[in-house]
Amino acid sequence: MLSSSIGYYALILGLISSLFLIYFCILNFRDHKYLNTKILSFTFFQFLFVITSFISLIVSFALSDFSNETVFNNSHTTKPIFYKIAGVWGNHEGSLLLWLLVLTLFTLIFLLKTKEQPLKYRILTILFQQIIIIGFFIFIIKTSSPFNYIFPTPKEGLGLNPILQDPILAIHPPILYLGYVGSSIIFSSALAATVLSFINNNWAFHIKKWVLASWIFLTLGILLGSVWAYYELGWGGFWFWDPVENVSLMPWLALTTLLHCILVLQKRSILTSWVIILSISTFTLSMCGTFLVRSGILNSVHTFANDPERGIFILIFLFSLIILSIIIFFFFHKRNESENESFFWLSKETAILMNNWFMMYFLSVVLIGTVYPIFLDVITSEKISVGPPFYHKLIIPFLVPFLIFMAIGPKLRWIKSNFDNKLNLIFVLFFSILISFLIVKNFDVNFLINLTIISGALYLFFITIRDFFIKKNKNNSQKIAHFGFSLLILSIMFNNIFSSEIITNLKVGEILETSNTKITFNEVNQKNEKNYKSIIGSFTIETKNEKTEKFKPELRIYNQPITITSEADIKTTLVSDKFMTINVVQNQDYFNVRYQVKPFMIWIWLSVILISVGGLVSFFKKEYEK
Amino acid sequence: MKFFKLLISFVLIFNLNNTYANDNDLNHKIIKNLRCLVCQGQSVYDSDSDFAISLKIVVANKINEGLTEKQIYSYLKKKYGEWILYDPELNKNTYLLWLLPVLLFLIGGVIIFKRFKIKNK
Repeated sequence: MLSSSIGYYALILGLISSLFLIYFCILNFRDHKYLNTKILSFTFFQFLFVITSFISLIVSFALSDFSNETVFNNSHTTKPIFYKIAGVWGNHEGSLLLWLLVLTLFTLIFLLKTKEQPLKYRILTILFQQIIIIGFFIFIIKTSSPFNYIFPTPKEGLGLNPILQDPILAIHPPILYLGYVGSSIIFSSALAATVLSFINNNWAFHIKKWVLASWIFLTLGILLGSVWAYYELGWGGFWFWDPVENVSLMPWLALTTLLHCILVLQKRSILTSWVIILSISTFTLSMCGTFLVRSGILNSVHTFANDPERGIFILIFLFSLIILSIIIFFFFHKRNESENESFFWLSKETAILMNNWFMMYFLSVVLIGTVYPIFLDVITSEKISVGPPFYHKLIIPFLVPFLIFMAIGPKLRWIKSNFDNKLNLIFVLFFSILISFLIVKNFDVNFLINLTIISGALYLFFITIRDFFIKKNKNNSQKIAHFGFSLLILSIMFNNIFSSEIITNLKVGEILETSNTKITFNEVNQKNEKNYKSIIGSFTIETKNEKTEKFKPELRIYNQPITITSEADIKTTLVSDKFMTINVVQNQDYFNVRYQVKPFMIWIWLSVILISVGGLVSFFKKEYEK
Repeated sequence: MKFFKLLISFVLIFNLNNTYANDNDLNHKIIKNLRCLVCQGQSVYDSDSDFAISLKIVVANKINEGLTEKQIYSYLKKKYGEWILYDPELNKNTYLLWLLPVLLFLIGGVIIFKRFKIKNK
C-alpha cells in the first residue's frame, strides 16, 4: 500500500521536475554564460524521483503486495524472490518505468560527461531529452500506471508467465533498453546540434561514444533474447524473423549504419544530412518498436496487453517527435560548402557509403517485411504472413557482395586510395572459394547458394585474419568486429547445413535406432518444486563413434498461471550442441521426443560477443581531437 | 603451415558429417514454411501443438499422395487462407512487398553513384 503511493507520487514529482527543467533550460539558453546549476540539480532530482518510484515497485513485488494491480497481475507468492524482482520489468507497466529510469539516468550522465561541449548545445540537448521524458511520464501516469490499487486486496496474484521466469530473460530487457534509450540521447543531441549548426567533426567525435555504447548494449540485448529463444522456446532455433525480433533488429541496423557513417563525418566533415537523418531514424525505430510491441498489433510472446489507448498515445507521441525533427531538419540544417564535392571511387568514404547502402537495404527489407502485413490487413483486410523465406530470399543475394566490401573496405585510405596488393586479395578470394567448395561439395541442395555465401564469409574471415598479422594494433576494433561478423555468418551457415535431427514418439523403455544413433528412453521421474511440477525424462544416446550420453529433458507444469513449458537439455561443446526436448502427446503414454545435433551453435553466440567486443575496444580507445 | 593443416582437418570433419543429411527434406521445407495458426510466432515445424501435429500428418500424407510442393501450398491456402504461408506469393497484394526493398536499393545506388568520380583531378 505505502510503497505504491510513494512510487506514484515520486512519478508525479518527476514529471513536475521536467517542467521546471524545461523552464530553466529556456532561461539558461537565452543567457548562456554558465550552466545554471539548477539544471544539473533538477536532472539529478528527476533521476532520484524515478529511481524511488522504481524501487517502490520492486518493494511491492518483493513483498507480494497484491493491492497493487500490476503486482496482482504478474506475481505470485510461490515465486522465487529472484523472479519476483525480475517480474517488475516482465510486464508492460514495469518495463515502461524501466525505460523512463534509463532515460533519466542517461540524461544525467550526458550532462555530467559533456562539460567540454558548448553550453548551448548541452542545454538544448537536455531540452529535447526532457520533451521525450515528459512524453513517457504522461504515457505511464495516464495509460499504464504501475501503481493502480485494487480493492478488496486479493489473497493471491495471477503469476508471471513461466516462459519469462528465466535468468537470461531477467537481464534481457534492461540491457536492450540501455541500447534503445541510448539512441534517444543521439536523437536529442543530433537535433540540438542541427539547430546550432554544430554538426561537424567535433560533434561526431563526442557523439561517437554514445553511438558505440548504445550499439554495444543493443547488440548484447538482441543476443540475450536470441539465446533465450534458443533454449527456452524448445525448437532449437535462434532467430525466426518474428516481428518482435525484427523491431529490435531495425534500430540495430540503423545504429550500425550510423556508427560507420559518423567516421566519415569525423574525418572529413561531410555527409552531415545523412548523419542527422540516421540519428533521427535510429530513435524513431526504437520508438516504433515500442509502439508495435505495446499496442498489441503484433502477435507474439512479447505482447503483454492489448490496449488501443496505449497504442494511440504512442502513435501520436511518435508522430509529434517525427514532425518536430523534420521541421528542425528543414529549417535549421545547412550543408557545408565542401559537401558538394564528389568522392573518388576508390576511397574509404566510398567503402563506408557502400556499407550504408547495403545496410539501408537490409533495413528496408526488415521494415517492409514487418509493417507491410499490418498495412495490408488494414487496407484490404487480407491477412498474409511474412516469414523467414521472404527475408532469406531478399537478404542472401545481397550478403555476398556485402561481405566482400566488408573485407576490402577497411583497407582503403581516406580521400584517394589504390589497392596495395591486388594479387593477394584475388588469391585469397580463390582460396576461399576452393575451401567452401570442399565443404559443401557433397550437398546437392542449394549448392550454389551455400557455396557463394560461405566463400564470401570465408573471404572476410581470411582477410581479417591476415590483417591482424600485417597491420598490428591499427584499428583493432574494426578488425575484431568484422572478424566476428564473418564468424557469425560462417557459424550460421554451418549450423544450417550440418544440423540433423530425429523427431519421434517414444514411451518408457522403448529404443529407437537410426543409421548412426540409438536413443533409449529409460524412465520418467516426477518432482515437485515450489511453483511447478516437473516431469523429467531420462534418455541415453549412443552414437557410432562417440561414447554414450545421458539426457534429461524436462517438462514443467507451472501452477500459476497453469502453463506447460518444455526445458531442453542441451549439451554444449565447442564443436556442436546436442539438444533434446520432450513434449506430451495427448491422452497417450507416448512422449514426443526431439533430438537435434547443431554444429557450431556456441560460435554463433561467441561471434556476436566478439562483434560487441569490437565496439568495446573502440569505446575505450583513447582518441585525441585534431 | 600449421594453419593449413588445421583447415584441411576441418574440411575432412565436415565431409564425415555429411552422412547426417536428412532424407525428408521436402517435408521439412514445407512445414517450416507454414505458420502454426494457434501458436505465437512459430512455424508448424517448430511447434508441438495439436494443430501443428495434425498439420504435419496432413503434409506427410499429401506428399505420399504425390502432390508437389506448390499443390500442397495451394491446398492449404484454400483451407486456411494465405495467413498460413510464411513465404508470401507474388500477386497483386504483394508486389510492393517484394519489389519496394529492391527499388529502394536501386534508388540508393543512383544517389551514391552520382557522387562518385572515376578520375581524380
